Amino acid sequence: MTDPEILQLYRSGEREKAFRHLVESYKERLYWHIRRMVLDHDDTDDCLQNTFVKAWSSLDRFRGDAQLYTWLYRIATNESITFLTKQQTRGGTLDLAAASRLSTDPWFDGDQLQLSLHKAIAKLPPKQKAVFNLRYFDEMPYEQIARILDTSEGALKASYHHAYEKVKAWVKEEMDAKY
Amino acid sequence: MNEKDDILGRRPSGDQPFRIPEAYFESLEDRVMARIAAEEQADVRKKSPVWTVLRPALTLAAMFALVFGMGYGVLSLTHTLDRGTGTTEVSGYATVEEEMINPVSLINYYQTDPEEDTELDEETIINYLATELSYSDLAEIYAQAY
Repeated sequence: MTDPEILQLYRSGEREKAFRHLVESYKERLYWHIRRMVLDHDDTDDCLQNTFVKAWSSLDRFRGDAQLYTWLYRIATNESITFLTKQQTRGGTLDLAAASRLSTDPWFDGDQLQLSLHKAIAKLPPKQKAVFNLRYFDEMPYEQIARILDTSEGALKASYHHAYEKVKAWVKEEMDAKY
Repeated sequence: MNEKDDILGRRPSGDQPFRIPEAYFESLEDRVMARIAAEEQADVRKKSPVWTVLRPALTLAAMFALVFGMGYGVLSLTHTLDRGTGTTEVSGYATVEEEMINPVSLINYYQTDPEEDTELDEETIINYLATELSYSDLAEIYAQAY
């Protein structure tokens, strides 16, 4: 079902049915986006459910001037950033703790290079991490990232470039230390 | 994404290192809808009709009680202070009066014939003071006069 069809169904009064279609359409993409941000599966599940609950409570105010896809990504990104900021405020370095737990996480089976990559990404500030993930993994155009994060394309390009250089250096540093 | 951008030296999108519990996505819609239903029910409970009706009345009553209490407190405090000062003044005045009035003088005053000439000469006054008052009384009168 397409976005306009989902919205039409929702506005015709079939709210729950339309919303189930929306969750069905976006759950996997949003899950992976959040998972790369927060790393842990249970935390991802919490953030994903919060995302859909917020979407449900404000879908009747969705005007359609943005794409449903962009709107949902914005909610999911904000949920992830809020989660990471809270963890940093509470524990100071929980981001890195979550990253260091990856090597023993039963839900992570990447090789050493991938482990180094995600540990390096975890060191980035939350918003820069979102920029990096959306661009590097989802290969999203800057124009779309700009709409999701409500930032100018120029600022995003600069942010991604800095993030890319930092991650590359950290991965190289860790791989050199290992081998 | 071009090769220059690839930190790992290979395309990352086809190589997902994260795993998820089996059938996780299959039950997600039901869990999300169940959570939405639970939150809506909690909201309805918060906004129950009894509370909605009682809330303005209780708020008004609480505000009235607060204003009345503050007013009563201020008035009581002010009234107590006024009354306290008056009592002190009256009591002090009475004490002074009692100390100043000599009972013998009062008796003499009432026994005096109103027709009699009340003009006193200096000798009479000196005699009166010498016989009726002690040295300490005289010293006090002298100190008050000069």
